[in-house]
Amino acid sequence: MGDVYIVGVGMHPFGRFEKTYEEIGSQAAALALKDADVEWRDVQAAFMARMYLPATSGCRILRKLGGTDISIIDVEAACASGGAALRQAVLAIKSGDVDLALVCGTEKMPRGFMDPAMIYSPWQVELGISQNPSYWSMRAMRHMHDYGTTEEQIAKVAYKNHKNSVHNKYAMYQKAFSMEQILASPLVCDPIRLLEICSPNDGAAALVVVSERKMREMGKKGIRIAGISHSIARYSSDFRCPADSMSATTDNLGPTRVTAERVYEAAGIGVEDIDCFEVQDTDAFCEIELYEELGLCPTGEGGRLIDSGDVEIGGLKPVNMSGGLISKGEPIGASHLGQVVELVEQLRGKCGPRQVEGAKVALGHVLGAGGNCAITVLER
Amino acid sequence: MANKCVPIKDGLLTGPLDQLSLVHLAGSRCASCEETSLGTNSVCPNCGYDKLDHVALGDGGTLFTYTIVRHRPPGAYQGPADFKPFGLGLVELDGVIRVMAPLQLAIDDLQIGMPLKFVPYVLRTNENDEDVVAFTYESVGD
Repeated sequence: MGDVYIVGVGMHPFGRFEKTYEEIGSQAAALALKDADVEWRDVQAAFMARMYLPATSGCRILRKLGGTDISIIDVEAACASGGAALRQAVLAIKSGDVDLALVCGTEKMPRGFMDPAMIYSPWQVELGISQNPSYWSMRAMRHMHDYGTTEEQIAKVAYKNHKNSVHNKYAMYQKAFSMEQILASPLVCDPIRLLEICSPNDGAAALVVVSERKMREMGKKGIRIAGISHSIARYSSDFRCPADSMSATTDNLGPTRVTAERVYEAAGIGVEDIDCFEVQDTDAFCEIELYEELGLCPTGEGGRLIDSGDVEIGGLKPVNMSGGLISKGEPIGASHLGQVVELVEQLRGKCGPRQVEGAKVALGHVLGAGGNCAITVLER
Repeated sequence: MANKCVPIKDGLLTGPLDQLSLVHLAGSRCASCEETSLGTNSVCPNCGYDKLDHVALGDGGTLFTYTIVRHRPPGAYQGPADFKPFGLGLVELDGVIRVMAPLQLAIDDLQIGMPLKFVPYVLRTNENDEDVVAFTYESVGD
């Protein structure tokens, strides 16, 4: 089993557009094919990550590139859909079944809070247990209680990510906000504020992935997928599930820790070997918790890590150089593949003002409903 | 004649629903791993074992964590038409389980670790003229 490489990337900006999802997705796919110098007819299998789109979205989107008879499969794993789709492509190549696959994530989502009926039981919706940021907010409250994490530290994450997005043409906002503006923005679910959460929106991202043999034949220098893993939360390990209750006696490792351990082992690396990160900042507190769960700092130290400046571009461990989901928005099926596109461009040294100098190893992470978590580690 | 009472979710509550003072949250205790889960379950959500004792969970609890929902929740939310921000929390019961529940107390009074008590109530009348019984938690002092 040889390695799998990314030889082409393409993005449709994240935002809100007067276009169909077929147009948005096929544009990203066409850009990825162009970047890889291959034609649609060269693709041997395709995987479409999406959560809000209808059945057969993959076929509908990719048929805009021309007729085909290859396998095209829609993949859904909540916020980890893109990771699950990329993993399927990696497995298809490693199995020897195909040499060249297209992975695309596409989404077109309504404004406002996500439809709770997609992940909650009707009785939870009736009682109002179902507002999307509420369970993240409860984790934040407990973290503040246990470790002294502050509202200012949470706001600093939003400040950093909005600031990073200013130079990212794919981000929805591309606008810096002051700490005062962030801390004065309305509370959504205490302690999380409007400028500290991501918006559901539209967008697409696509990758062309190939076997090592195919890469040599193409004469390309690709980015190696050093590790990829997808898992769901163990019993009672994550009340984002969304759960109706949690155990008070069982303390299982959370999905990010479990998935990270698997990826680090598969890649034969530790967190100390990774130069930059794109992580699931559904809200600004979430990023603080992920510093801890990915191993960037000990449990309870996430607030102090954002204070240290280490996670800034130019710091020791830059996180969300793209501006993260807080500034880009979260078109769910496209979000992880959008992270991967950013990381490939970082490893290619093509990120301009937000470039992490000398980046060789990079990690992308997503986490959402069902405790779905996917992590991809890339190496140049 | 009083309406027939039904739980907001089958198996979630135990006791005679027409005598709310005798109603409790239902739980299931696994005979193998000893985990207690919410509701009347036939399979343990932890280990998958199928021998569970159906128990009534305690009415007293402590607030493990909470948030304040500042905007009207989306979808078929059945709270007051005149929306007011409300507390939502994880309430720890009997030291074994933390139940997610709306909190019926002033949002400024919410504090992690505060004692709370279980309060069943009639949320609404359904299309069959049945009273739908839901639950919340209130301050012990009320």
